[in-house]
Amino acid sequence: MPANLDRRPVIAGLGMTELGQVYGRSAASFAAEAVRLAVADAGCTLGDVDGLLTSNGSSGGVGLGLQRDLDLHDLKLLSEMHGYGSTAGAMVQVASMAVQAGMAEMVACVFADAPLRPGRSAGDVYSGPRAGTGRAERRIPTGWGGLLAATGVSGANTLYALAARRHMLRYGTTTEDFGAIAVAQRAWAATNPLAQMREPLTLADHQASRWIVEPFHLLDCCLVSNGGIAVIVTSEARARSLAQPPVHVLGWAQSHPGRLFDRDENFGLVTGAAQSGPAALGMAGVTLAEVDVAELYDCYTYTVLVSLEDYGFCEKGEGGAFVSGGALGPDGKLKCNTGGGQLSSYYMWGMTPLSEAVIQVRGQGGARQADPHDVVLVSGNGGILDHHATLVLGTGPP
Amino acid sequence: MTVGLVGRDATTAAFFDGAAAGQFLIRRCSPAGHASRPQVRQCSTCGSTELRWVPASGGARLVSWAVVPGRRGGEDDAPGPSIVVVVGELDEGPWWWSQIVGADPGSLAEGQRLRIGFEGAEGGEVVPVFEVA
Ligand SMILES: [Zn+2]
Repeated sequence: MPANLDRRPVIAGLGMTELGQVYGRSAASFAAEAVRLAVADAGCTLGDVDGLLTSNGSSGGVGLGLQRDLDLHDLKLLSEMHGYGSTAGAMVQVASMAVQAGMAEMVACVFADAPLRPGRSAGDVYSGPRAGTGRAERRIPTGWGGLLAATGVSGANTLYALAARRHMLRYGTTTEDFGAIAVAQRAWAATNPLAQMREPLTLADHQASRWIVEPFHLLDCCLVSNGGIAVIVTSEARARSLAQPPVHVLGWAQSHPGRLFDRDENFGLVTGAAQSGPAALGMAGVTLAEVDVAELYDCYTYTVLVSLEDYGFCEKGEGGAFVSGGALGPDGKLKCNTGGGQLSSYYMWGMTPLSEAVIQVRGQGGARQADPHDVVLVSGNGGILDHHATLVLGTGPP
Repeated sequence: MTVGLVGRDATTAAFFDGAAAGQFLIRRCSPAGHASRPQVRQCSTCGSTELRWVPASGGARLVSWAVVPGRRGGEDDAPGPSIVVVVGELDEGPWWWSQIVGADPGSLAEGQRLRIGFEGAEGGEVVPVFEVA
Protein backbone atom coordinates (compact mmCIF):
# COMPACT_ATOMS: atom_id res chain seq x y z
CA MET A 1 0.00 0.00 0.00
CA PRO A 2 1.31 3.46 -0.85
CA ALA A 3 2.03 5.95 1.89
CA ASN A 4 -0.31 8.52 0.36
CA LEU A 5 -3.81 7.11 0.78
CA ASP A 6 -5.31 9.75 -1.52
CA ARG A 7 -3.36 8.25 -4.39
CA ARG A 8 -4.72 4.74 -3.98
CA PRO A 9 -6.00 3.55 -7.35
CA VAL A 10 -9.70 3.40 -8.18
CA ILE A 11 -11.61 2.37 -11.29
CA ALA A 12 -13.97 5.28 -11.80
CA GLY A 13 -15.36 4.72 -15.27
CA LEU A 14 -16.57 1.85 -17.45
CA GLY A 15 -17.45 2.17 -21.13
CA MET A 16 -18.89 -0.65 -23.18
CA THR A 17 -19.89 -0.35 -26.82
CA GLU A 18 -22.52 -2.51 -28.41
CA LEU A 19 -21.01 -6.01 -28.34
CA GLY A 20 -21.45 -9.03 -30.56
CA GLN A 21 -22.33 -9.24 -34.22
CA VAL A 22 -21.86 -5.54 -34.81
CA TYR A 23 -20.57 -5.11 -38.34
CA GLY A 24 -19.15 -2.35 -40.47
CA ARG A 25 -16.94 -0.77 -37.82
CA SER A 26 -13.22 -0.99 -37.17
CA ALA A 27 -11.64 -1.97 -33.88
CA ALA A 28 -10.21 1.55 -33.64
CA SER A 29 -13.70 3.00 -33.88
CA PHE A 30 -14.94 0.69 -31.11
CA ALA A 31 -11.94 1.64 -28.98
CA ALA A 32 -12.59 5.37 -29.33
CA GLU A 33 -16.26 4.95 -28.52
CA ALA A 34 -15.46 2.80 -25.47
CA VAL A 35 -13.15 5.50 -24.08
CA ARG A 36 -15.75 8.21 -24.71
CA LEU A 37 -18.36 6.09 -22.92
CA ALA A 38 -16.02 5.38 -20.00
CA VAL A 39 -15.25 9.07 -19.56
CA ALA A 40 -18.95 9.95 -19.64
CA ASP A 41 -19.70 7.14 -17.20
CA ALA A 42 -17.09 8.49 -14.81
CA GLY A 43 -18.51 11.98 -15.03
CA CYS A 44 -15.47 13.68 -16.50
CA THR A 45 -14.25 14.72 -19.94
CA LEU A 46 -11.67 13.53 -22.42
CA GLY A 47 -9.64 16.57 -21.45
CA ASP A 48 -9.21 15.06 -17.98
CA VAL A 49 -7.55 11.94 -19.39
CA ASP A 50 -3.77 12.15 -19.08
CA GLY A 51 -2.91 8.50 -19.62
CA LEU A 52 -3.89 5.97 -22.28
CA LEU A 53 -3.17 2.25 -22.45
CA THR A 54 -4.41 0.33 -25.48
CA SER A 55 -4.69 -3.31 -26.40
CA ASN A 56 -5.63 -5.27 -29.47
CA GLY A 57 -7.68 -8.35 -30.04
CA SER A 58 -7.18 -10.61 -33.02
CA SER A 59 -8.10 -7.99 -35.61
CA GLY A 60 -5.46 -5.43 -34.63
CA GLY A 61 -5.85 -1.74 -35.35
CA VAL A 62 -5.93 -0.39 -31.79
CA GLY A 63 -2.73 1.40 -30.90
CA LEU A 64 -1.01 4.66 -30.30
CA GLY A 65 -3.10 6.31 -32.99
CA LEU A 66 -6.02 6.27 -30.59
CA GLN A 67 -4.53 9.38 -28.98
CA ARG A 68 -5.07 11.21 -32.24
CA ASP A 69 -8.51 9.72 -32.81
CA LEU A 70 -9.58 11.06 -29.41
CA ASP A 71 -7.62 14.33 -29.63
CA LEU A 72 -5.90 13.64 -26.33
CA HIS A 73 -3.24 16.27 -25.61
CA ASP A 74 -0.21 16.21 -23.32
CA LEU A 75 -0.57 12.62 -22.20
CA LYS A 76 1.77 11.64 -19.37
CA LEU A 77 1.42 7.92 -20.08
CA LEU A 78 0.79 6.26 -23.45
CA SER A 79 1.52 2.69 -24.43
CA GLU A 80 0.20 -0.30 -26.29
CA MET A 81 0.18 -3.40 -24.12
CA HIS A 82 -0.05 -7.04 -25.07
CA GLY A 83 -0.44 -10.18 -23.00
CA TYR A 84 -3.43 -11.66 -24.80
CA GLY A 85 -6.22 -12.39 -22.31
CA SER A 86 -4.15 -11.09 -19.41
CA THR A 87 -3.80 -7.62 -20.93
CA ALA A 88 -6.89 -5.99 -19.45
CA GLY A 89 -5.76 -6.85 -15.95
CA ALA A 90 -2.19 -5.85 -16.76
CA MET A 91 -3.35 -2.46 -18.10
CA VAL A 92 -5.22 -1.75 -14.87
CA GLN A 93 -2.10 -2.73 -12.94
CA VAL A 94 0.16 -0.36 -14.87
CA ALA A 95 -2.44 2.40 -14.67
CA SER A 96 -2.75 1.83 -10.92
CA MET A 97 0.98 2.09 -10.42
CA ALA A 98 1.13 5.25 -12.54
CA VAL A 99 -1.63 6.81 -10.44
CA GLN A 100 -0.01 5.73 -7.18
CA ALA A 101 3.30 7.18 -8.24
CA GLY A 102 1.72 10.48 -9.25
CA MET A 103 2.80 9.98 -12.83
CA ALA A 104 -0.74 10.34 -14.16
CA GLU A 105 -4.11 11.23 -12.71
CA MET A 106 -6.63 9.64 -15.01
CA VAL A 107 -5.66 6.70 -17.20
CA ALA A 108 -7.96 5.18 -19.81
CA CYS A 109 -7.38 1.46 -20.48
CA VAL A 110 -9.09 0.14 -23.59
CA PHE A 111 -9.49 -3.09 -25.54
CA ALA A 112 -11.36 -3.43 -28.81
CA ASP A 113 -11.65 -6.08 -31.47
CA ALA A 114 -13.58 -6.57 -34.69
CA PRO A 115 -12.80 -10.08 -35.96
CA LEU A 116 -16.33 -10.90 -37.06
CA ARG A 117 -17.43 -10.12 -40.57
CA PRO A 118 -20.67 -11.09 -42.23
CA GLY A 119 -20.30 -14.55 -43.70
CA ARG A 120 -17.16 -15.44 -41.76
CA SER A 121 -17.68 -18.08 -39.10
CA ALA A 122 -16.54 -17.48 -35.55
CA GLY A 123 -14.51 -20.67 -35.78
CA ASP A 124 -12.50 -19.38 -38.72
CA VAL A 125 -11.30 -16.47 -36.63
CA TYR A 126 -9.44 -18.53 -34.07
CA SER A 127 -8.86 -22.01 -35.49
CA GLY A 128 -5.65 -21.28 -37.35
CA PRO A 129 -4.45 -22.96 -40.52
CA ARG A 130 -5.35 -26.59 -40.93
CA ALA A 131 -3.17 -29.41 -42.16
CA GLY A 132 -4.16 -31.06 -45.38
CA THR A 133 -6.37 -28.28 -46.70
CA GLY A 134 -4.43 -27.07 -49.66
CA ARG A 135 -7.32 -25.28 -51.30
CA ALA A 136 -6.10 -22.02 -52.73
CA GLU A 137 -2.40 -21.71 -53.44
CA ARG A 138 -0.75 -19.98 -50.52
CA ARG A 139 2.81 -19.28 -49.59
CA ILE A 140 4.23 -22.37 -47.89
CA PRO A 141 4.61 -21.70 -44.16
CA THR A 142 8.03 -21.99 -42.54
CA GLY A 143 9.53 -21.95 -39.07
CA TRP A 144 8.67 -24.08 -36.07
CA GLY A 145 5.12 -22.77 -36.11
CA GLY A 146 4.80 -23.79 -39.73
CA LEU A 147 6.09 -27.25 -38.91
CA LEU A 148 3.62 -27.72 -36.06
CA ALA A 149 0.76 -26.42 -38.16
CA ALA A 150 1.66 -28.83 -40.97
CA THR A 151 1.00 -31.70 -38.60
CA GLY A 152 -2.25 -30.20 -37.32
CA VAL A 153 -0.92 -28.53 -34.18
CA SER A 154 -2.31 -25.03 -34.44
CA GLY A 155 -5.09 -22.86 -33.15
CA ALA A 156 -6.22 -22.11 -29.63
CA ASN A 157 -8.97 -24.75 -29.74
CA THR A 158 -6.54 -27.60 -30.37
CA LEU A 159 -3.90 -26.42 -27.90
CA TYR A 160 -6.40 -25.82 -25.11
CA ALA A 161 -8.02 -29.17 -25.87
CA LEU A 162 -4.65 -30.84 -25.28
CA ALA A 163 -4.37 -28.98 -21.96
CA ALA A 164 -7.88 -29.97 -20.93
CA ARG A 165 -7.35 -33.62 -21.85
CA ARG A 166 -4.29 -33.74 -19.65
CA HIS A 167 -6.36 -32.48 -16.73
CA MET A 168 -8.99 -35.13 -17.48
CA LEU A 169 -6.38 -37.88 -17.62
CA ARG A 170 -4.62 -36.84 -14.45
CA TYR A 171 -7.59 -35.97 -12.25
CA GLY A 172 -10.57 -37.75 -13.75
CA THR A 173 -12.21 -34.52 -14.89
CA THR A 174 -15.06 -35.21 -17.34
CA THR A 175 -16.80 -33.47 -20.20
CA GLU A 176 -19.89 -33.37 -17.97
CA ASP A 177 -17.86 -31.35 -15.45
CA PHE A 178 -17.03 -28.88 -18.21
CA GLY A 179 -20.71 -28.88 -19.15
CA ALA A 180 -21.70 -27.91 -15.61
CA ILE A 181 -19.71 -24.70 -16.06
CA ALA A 182 -21.39 -23.90 -19.38
CA VAL A 183 -24.83 -24.51 -17.86
CA ALA A 184 -24.09 -22.39 -14.77
CA GLN A 185 -22.80 -19.47 -16.78
CA ARG A 186 -25.76 -19.57 -19.15
CA ALA A 187 -28.04 -19.34 -16.13
CA TRP A 188 -26.24 -16.16 -15.12
CA ALA A 189 -26.38 -14.84 -18.68
CA ALA A 190 -30.16 -15.26 -18.71
CA THR A 191 -30.32 -12.32 -16.30
CA ASN A 192 -27.77 -10.15 -18.12
CA PRO A 193 -29.20 -7.81 -20.75
CA LEU A 194 -25.70 -7.47 -22.24
CA ALA A 195 -25.40 -11.21 -22.92
CA GLN A 196 -25.42 -12.55 -26.48
CA MET A 197 -26.70 -16.01 -25.44
CA ARG A 198 -29.57 -16.00 -22.96
CA GLU A 199 -31.74 -19.00 -23.83
CA PRO A 200 -31.62 -21.74 -21.17
CA LEU A 201 -29.01 -24.45 -21.54
CA THR A 202 -29.02 -27.99 -20.16
CA LEU A 203 -26.20 -30.46 -19.66
CA ALA A 204 -27.83 -32.56 -22.40
CA ASP A 205 -27.59 -29.58 -24.77
CA HIS A 206 -23.92 -29.26 -23.93
CA GLN A 207 -23.27 -32.95 -24.52
CA ALA A 208 -25.18 -32.91 -27.80
CA SER A 209 -23.32 -29.92 -29.20
CA ARG A 210 -20.81 -30.81 -31.89
CA TRP A 211 -17.16 -31.43 -31.23
CA ILE A 212 -14.98 -28.43 -31.97
CA VAL A 213 -11.82 -30.27 -30.97
CA GLU A 214 -12.52 -33.25 -28.73
CA PRO A 215 -12.68 -33.05 -25.67
CA PHE A 216 -14.29 -29.63 -26.35
CA HIS A 217 -17.86 -29.45 -27.49
CA LEU A 218 -19.09 -26.26 -29.14
CA LEU A 219 -20.59 -25.19 -25.83
CA ASP A 220 -17.21 -25.45 -24.09
CA CYS A 221 -15.90 -22.62 -26.26
CA CYS A 222 -16.24 -18.87 -25.90
CA LEU A 223 -18.17 -16.67 -28.27
CA VAL A 224 -16.48 -14.33 -30.70
CA SER A 225 -17.58 -10.71 -30.47
CA ASN A 226 -16.97 -7.34 -32.04
CA GLY A 227 -16.85 -4.29 -29.79
CA GLY A 228 -14.78 -2.42 -27.26
CA ILE A 229 -14.57 -1.88 -23.52
CA ALA A 230 -12.64 0.77 -21.58
CA VAL A 231 -12.10 1.58 -17.93
CA ILE A 232 -10.82 4.76 -16.30
CA VAL A 233 -8.29 4.37 -13.49
CA THR A 234 -7.79 7.38 -11.23
CA SER A 235 -6.83 8.23 -7.67
CA GLU A 236 -9.06 7.79 -4.65
CA ALA A 237 -8.99 11.55 -4.11
CA ARG A 238 -9.98 12.38 -7.69
CA ALA A 239 -12.69 9.70 -7.65
CA ARG A 240 -14.49 11.45 -4.80
CA SER A 241 -15.70 14.16 -7.15
CA LEU A 242 -16.72 11.74 -9.90
CA ALA A 243 -20.05 10.15 -10.71
CA GLN A 244 -19.73 6.45 -9.90
CA PRO A 245 -19.23 4.45 -6.72
CA PRO A 246 -15.47 3.91 -6.53
CA VAL A 247 -14.09 0.48 -7.39
CA HIS A 248 -10.87 0.19 -5.42
CA VAL A 249 -7.97 -1.69 -6.96
CA LEU A 250 -6.83 -3.44 -3.81
CA GLY A 251 -4.29 -5.93 -5.09
CA TRP A 252 -2.74 -7.21 -8.25
CA ALA A 253 -0.17 -9.63 -9.60
CA GLN A 254 0.93 -11.37 -12.77
CA SER A 255 2.45 -14.74 -13.53
CA HIS A 256 4.09 -15.84 -16.76
CA PRO A 257 5.21 -19.45 -16.29
CA GLY A 258 7.59 -19.65 -19.27
CA ARG A 259 7.13 -23.36 -19.76
CA LEU A 260 10.02 -25.59 -20.74
CA PHE A 261 7.82 -28.33 -22.20
CA ASP A 262 10.07 -31.00 -20.82
CA ARG A 263 9.72 -33.85 -18.33
CA ASP A 264 7.54 -32.93 -15.32
CA GLU A 265 5.94 -30.05 -17.24
CA ASN A 266 2.66 -29.06 -15.54
CA PHE A 267 0.98 -27.77 -18.73
CA GLY A 268 -2.76 -28.33 -18.47
CA LEU A 269 -2.59 -29.08 -14.76
CA VAL A 270 -1.56 -25.75 -13.20
CA THR A 271 -1.85 -22.17 -14.49
CA GLY A 272 -0.23 -18.89 -13.54
CA ALA A 273 -3.21 -18.19 -11.29
CA ALA A 274 -1.57 -20.44 -8.71
CA GLN A 275 1.05 -17.72 -8.26
CA SER A 276 -0.73 -14.51 -9.24
CA GLY A 277 -3.77 -15.33 -7.09
CA PRO A 278 -2.11 -15.58 -3.68
CA ALA A 279 0.18 -12.65 -4.55
CA ALA A 280 -2.73 -10.37 -5.46
CA LEU A 281 -4.76 -11.40 -2.42
CA GLY A 282 -1.72 -10.78 -0.25
CA MET A 283 -1.27 -7.29 -1.62
CA ALA A 284 -4.96 -6.61 -1.01
CA GLY A 285 -4.70 -7.93 2.52
CA VAL A 286 -7.65 -10.27 2.10
CA THR A 287 -8.01 -14.03 2.18
CA LEU A 288 -9.71 -16.18 -0.42
CA ALA A 289 -12.56 -16.75 2.04
CA GLU A 290 -13.26 -13.01 1.91
CA VAL A 291 -13.75 -13.04 -1.87
CA ASP A 292 -17.45 -12.50 -2.55
CA VAL A 293 -17.42 -12.80 -6.34
CA ALA A 294 -14.96 -14.39 -8.78
CA GLU A 295 -14.82 -13.28 -12.41
CA LEU A 296 -12.58 -15.85 -14.10
CA TYR A 297 -11.27 -15.83 -17.63
CA ASP A 298 -13.26 -18.39 -19.59
CA CYS A 299 -12.00 -18.84 -23.12
CA TYR A 300 -13.11 -22.42 -22.46
CA THR A 301 -15.08 -24.09 -19.68
CA TYR A 302 -11.89 -25.92 -18.78
CA THR A 303 -10.08 -22.63 -18.09
CA VAL A 304 -12.63 -21.80 -15.38
CA LEU A 305 -12.22 -25.22 -13.81
CA VAL A 306 -8.44 -25.14 -13.63
CA SER A 307 -8.47 -21.53 -12.44
CA LEU A 308 -10.85 -22.38 -9.59
CA GLU A 309 -8.32 -24.96 -8.43
CA ASP A 310 -5.34 -22.66 -8.82
CA TYR A 311 -6.93 -19.83 -6.85
CA GLY A 312 -7.78 -22.35 -4.15
CA PHE A 313 -11.58 -22.35 -4.30
CA CYS A 314 -11.16 -26.13 -4.26
CA GLU A 315 -8.21 -28.52 -4.02
CA LYS A 316 -6.05 -29.24 -7.06
CA GLY A 317 -7.71 -31.99 -9.05
CA GLU A 318 -11.11 -31.51 -7.44
CA GLY A 319 -12.40 -28.87 -9.83
CA GLY A 320 -14.64 -31.39 -11.55
CA ALA A 321 -16.39 -32.45 -8.36
CA PHE A 322 -16.58 -28.81 -7.24
CA VAL A 323 -18.38 -27.53 -10.34
CA SER A 324 -20.55 -30.60 -10.96
CA GLY A 325 -21.68 -30.45 -7.35
CA GLY A 326 -23.54 -27.22 -8.06
CA ALA A 327 -20.98 -24.74 -6.70
CA LEU A 328 -21.50 -22.37 -9.63
CA GLY A 329 -24.56 -20.66 -11.08
CA PRO A 330 -26.92 -18.11 -9.52
CA ASP A 331 -27.92 -20.58 -6.79
CA GLY A 332 -24.40 -21.88 -6.15
CA LYS A 333 -22.22 -21.12 -3.17
CA LEU A 334 -19.56 -19.33 -5.24
CA LYS A 335 -20.71 -16.33 -7.26
CA CYS A 336 -18.61 -16.87 -10.35
CA ASN A 337 -18.80 -15.31 -13.82
CA THR A 338 -21.99 -13.56 -12.85
CA GLY A 339 -22.51 -11.97 -16.25
CA GLY A 340 -22.35 -15.24 -18.15
CA GLY A 341 -18.72 -14.73 -19.09
CA GLN A 342 -17.20 -15.18 -22.50
CA LEU A 343 -19.04 -18.48 -22.92
CA SER A 344 -22.48 -16.87 -22.95
CA SER A 345 -22.23 -13.11 -22.67
CA TYR A 346 -19.56 -11.40 -24.75
CA TYR A 347 -15.97 -12.12 -25.74
CA MET A 348 -13.83 -9.11 -24.98
CA TRP A 349 -10.82 -11.05 -23.71
CA GLY A 350 -9.75 -9.84 -20.25
CA MET A 351 -12.23 -6.99 -20.39
CA THR A 352 -15.10 -9.47 -20.02
CA PRO A 353 -14.31 -10.51 -16.44
CA LEU A 354 -13.07 -6.99 -15.61
CA SER A 355 -16.19 -5.20 -16.83
CA GLU A 356 -18.51 -7.55 -14.95
CA ALA A 357 -16.38 -7.14 -11.83
CA VAL A 358 -16.71 -3.35 -12.00
CA ILE A 359 -20.48 -3.70 -12.39
CA GLN A 360 -20.65 -6.09 -9.43
CA VAL A 361 -18.49 -3.99 -7.07
CA ARG A 362 -20.62 -0.95 -7.85
CA GLY A 363 -23.77 -2.91 -7.11
CA GLN A 364 -25.14 -2.20 -10.58
CA GLY A 365 -25.75 -5.81 -11.60
CA GLY A 366 -29.53 -5.57 -11.47
CA ALA A 367 -31.16 -9.01 -11.49
CA ARG A 368 -27.76 -10.70 -11.41
CA GLN A 369 -26.24 -8.59 -8.64
CA ALA A 370 -24.34 -10.65 -6.08
CA ASP A 371 -24.61 -9.71 -2.44
CA PRO A 372 -22.30 -9.15 -0.67
CA HIS A 373 -19.97 -7.73 -3.32
CA ASP A 374 -17.23 -6.11 -1.27
CA VAL A 375 -14.32 -8.11 -2.66
CA VAL A 376 -14.24 -9.30 -6.27
CA LEU A 377 -11.45 -11.38 -7.80
CA VAL A 378 -10.70 -10.86 -11.50
CA SER A 379 -8.65 -13.37 -13.46
CA GLY A 380 -7.14 -12.83 -16.89
CA ASN A 381 -5.48 -15.64 -18.83
CA GLY A 382 -3.55 -15.19 -22.05
CA GLY A 383 -1.88 -17.25 -24.72
CA ILE A 384 -2.08 -20.99 -24.12
CA LEU A 385 -1.98 -20.67 -20.32
CA ASP A 386 1.13 -18.52 -20.80
CA HIS A 387 0.13 -15.25 -19.14
CA HIS A 388 -1.90 -14.57 -16.04
CA ALA A 389 -3.05 -11.35 -14.41
CA THR A 390 -5.09 -11.19 -11.22
CA LEU A 391 -6.86 -8.15 -9.80
CA VAL A 392 -8.58 -7.85 -6.44
CA LEU A 393 -11.23 -5.14 -6.60
CA GLY A 394 -13.43 -3.91 -3.80
CA THR A 395 -15.94 -1.39 -2.50
CA GLY A 396 -13.40 0.13 -0.17
CA PRO A 397 -9.96 -0.22 1.36
CA PRO A 398 -9.79 -3.14 3.81
CA MET B 1 -2.97 -36.37 -47.31
CA THR B 2 -2.50 -36.25 -43.55
CA VAL B 3 0.13 -33.55 -43.26
CA GLY B 4 0.32 -30.11 -44.80
CA LEU B 5 3.13 -28.26 -46.47
CA VAL B 6 5.98 -26.63 -44.63
CA GLY B 7 9.16 -25.13 -46.01
CA ARG B 8 12.57 -24.75 -44.43
CA ASP B 9 14.23 -21.64 -43.11
CA ALA B 10 17.57 -20.96 -41.44
CA THR B 11 16.42 -22.13 -38.01
CA THR B 12 14.74 -25.33 -39.17
CA ALA B 13 17.00 -26.46 -42.03
CA ALA B 14 19.11 -28.86 -39.94
CA PHE B 15 16.00 -30.34 -38.37
CA PHE B 16 14.42 -31.01 -41.76
CA ASP B 17 17.66 -32.52 -43.06
CA GLY B 18 17.42 -34.95 -40.15
CA ALA B 19 13.77 -35.69 -40.80
CA ALA B 20 14.50 -36.38 -44.47
CA ALA B 21 17.07 -38.93 -43.27
CA GLY B 22 14.59 -40.52 -40.89
CA GLN B 23 16.02 -38.92 -37.75
CA PHE B 24 14.27 -36.76 -35.16
CA LEU B 25 16.92 -34.25 -34.11
CA ILE B 26 16.94 -32.61 -30.70
CA ARG B 27 19.47 -30.25 -29.16
CA ARG B 28 22.14 -31.24 -26.65
CA CYS B 29 24.35 -28.69 -24.96
CA SER B 30 28.07 -29.19 -25.38
CA PRO B 31 29.06 -28.46 -21.76
CA ALA B 32 26.86 -31.08 -20.09
CA GLY B 33 24.90 -32.92 -22.75
CA HIS B 34 21.47 -31.83 -21.47
CA ALA B 35 18.65 -32.58 -23.92
CA SER B 36 16.39 -29.74 -25.10
CA ARG B 37 13.55 -29.32 -27.59
CA PRO B 38 14.56 -28.67 -31.20
CA GLN B 39 13.20 -25.10 -31.02
CA VAL B 40 15.36 -23.83 -28.15
CA ARG B 41 17.97 -21.09 -28.52
CA GLN B 42 19.73 -22.08 -25.33
CA CYS B 43 19.89 -25.22 -23.21
CA SER B 44 16.68 -25.64 -21.19
CA THR B 45 18.69 -26.91 -18.23
CA CYS B 46 21.89 -24.86 -18.01
CA GLY B 47 21.36 -21.98 -20.43
CA SER B 48 24.36 -22.81 -22.58
CA THR B 49 24.15 -21.50 -26.14
CA GLU B 50 26.57 -24.15 -27.35
CA LEU B 51 24.06 -26.57 -28.81
CA ARG B 52 24.53 -29.59 -31.04
CA TRP B 53 21.93 -31.38 -33.14
CA VAL B 54 21.71 -35.03 -32.10
CA PRO B 55 19.26 -37.76 -33.09
CA ALA B 56 16.70 -38.73 -30.48
CA SER B 57 15.93 -42.40 -29.95
CA GLY B 58 12.46 -41.88 -31.46
CA GLY B 59 10.77 -43.40 -28.43
CA ALA B 60 8.16 -41.39 -26.53
CA ARG B 61 5.21 -41.71 -24.20
CA LEU B 62 1.77 -40.20 -24.69
CA VAL B 63 1.02 -37.12 -22.58
CA SER B 64 -2.24 -35.86 -24.09
CA TRP B 65 -4.32 -35.96 -27.27
CA ALA B 66 -7.13 -34.12 -29.01
CA VAL B 67 -9.32 -35.07 -31.95
CA VAL B 68 -9.74 -32.42 -34.62
CA PRO B 69 -12.81 -33.14 -36.75
CA GLY B 70 -12.40 -32.90 -40.49
CA ARG B 71 -13.59 -29.64 -41.95
CA ARG B 72 -16.24 -29.41 -44.58
CA GLY B 73 -15.30 -27.54 -47.69
CA GLY B 74 -14.61 -30.04 -50.45
CA GLU B 75 -16.53 -29.81 -53.72
CA ASP B 76 -19.37 -31.93 -52.33
CA ASP B 77 -19.04 -30.17 -48.93
CA ALA B 78 -18.08 -33.50 -47.38
CA PRO B 79 -16.07 -33.38 -44.15
CA GLY B 80 -12.41 -34.24 -44.42
CA PRO B 81 -10.90 -36.93 -42.20
CA SER B 82 -10.44 -36.29 -38.49
CA ILE B 83 -6.91 -36.06 -37.21
CA VAL B 84 -5.61 -36.86 -33.75
CA VAL B 85 -3.09 -34.39 -32.38
CA VAL B 86 -0.93 -35.53 -29.48
CA VAL B 87 1.68 -34.31 -27.06
CA GLY B 88 4.43 -36.86 -26.66
CA GLU B 89 7.28 -36.82 -24.17
CA LEU B 90 10.41 -38.03 -25.88
CA ASP B 91 12.43 -40.54 -23.92
CA GLU B 92 15.13 -37.86 -23.69
CA GLY B 93 12.68 -35.57 -21.86
CA PRO B 94 11.57 -32.85 -24.29
CA TRP B 95 7.95 -32.69 -25.43
CA TRP B 96 6.94 -32.76 -29.07
CA TRP B 97 3.59 -31.95 -30.59
CA SER B 98 2.33 -33.63 -33.77
CA GLN B 99 -0.46 -35.73 -35.11
CA ILE B 100 -0.56 -39.46 -34.49
CA VAL B 101 -1.19 -41.59 -37.55
CA GLY B 102 -2.89 -44.94 -37.75
CA ALA B 103 -4.31 -44.82 -34.24
CA ASP B 104 -7.88 -45.13 -33.00
CA PRO B 105 -8.34 -42.26 -30.52
CA GLY B 106 -10.62 -44.50 -28.45
CA SER B 107 -7.70 -46.81 -27.76
CA LEU B 108 -5.22 -44.19 -26.55
CA ALA B 109 -4.06 -44.05 -22.94
CA GLU B 110 -1.84 -41.69 -20.98
CA GLY B 111 1.71 -42.99 -20.80
CA GLN B 112 1.25 -45.25 -23.81
CA ARG B 113 4.43 -45.96 -25.76
CA LEU B 114 4.81 -44.04 -29.01
CA ARG B 115 7.47 -43.77 -31.64
CA ILE B 116 8.36 -41.04 -34.08
CA GLY B 117 7.56 -41.67 -37.73
CA PHE B 118 7.86 -39.43 -40.75
CA GLU B 119 5.44 -38.22 -43.41
CA GLY B 120 6.10 -36.17 -46.46
CA ALA B 121 3.80 -34.03 -48.53
CA GLU B 122 4.51 -33.31 -52.19
CA GLY B 123 6.27 -29.98 -52.40
CA GLY B 124 7.10 -29.69 -48.70
CA GLU B 125 9.55 -30.96 -46.14
CA VAL B 126 9.33 -34.37 -44.43
CA VAL B 127 7.77 -33.89 -41.01
CA PRO B 128 7.75 -36.01 -37.85
CA VAL B 129 4.51 -37.65 -36.73
CA PHE B 130 3.75 -40.06 -33.92
CA GLU B 131 2.81 -43.70 -34.27
CA VAL B 132 1.76 -46.23 -31.66
CA ALA B 133 4.89 -48.20 -30.74
ZN1 LIG C 1 22.91 -27.74 -20.65
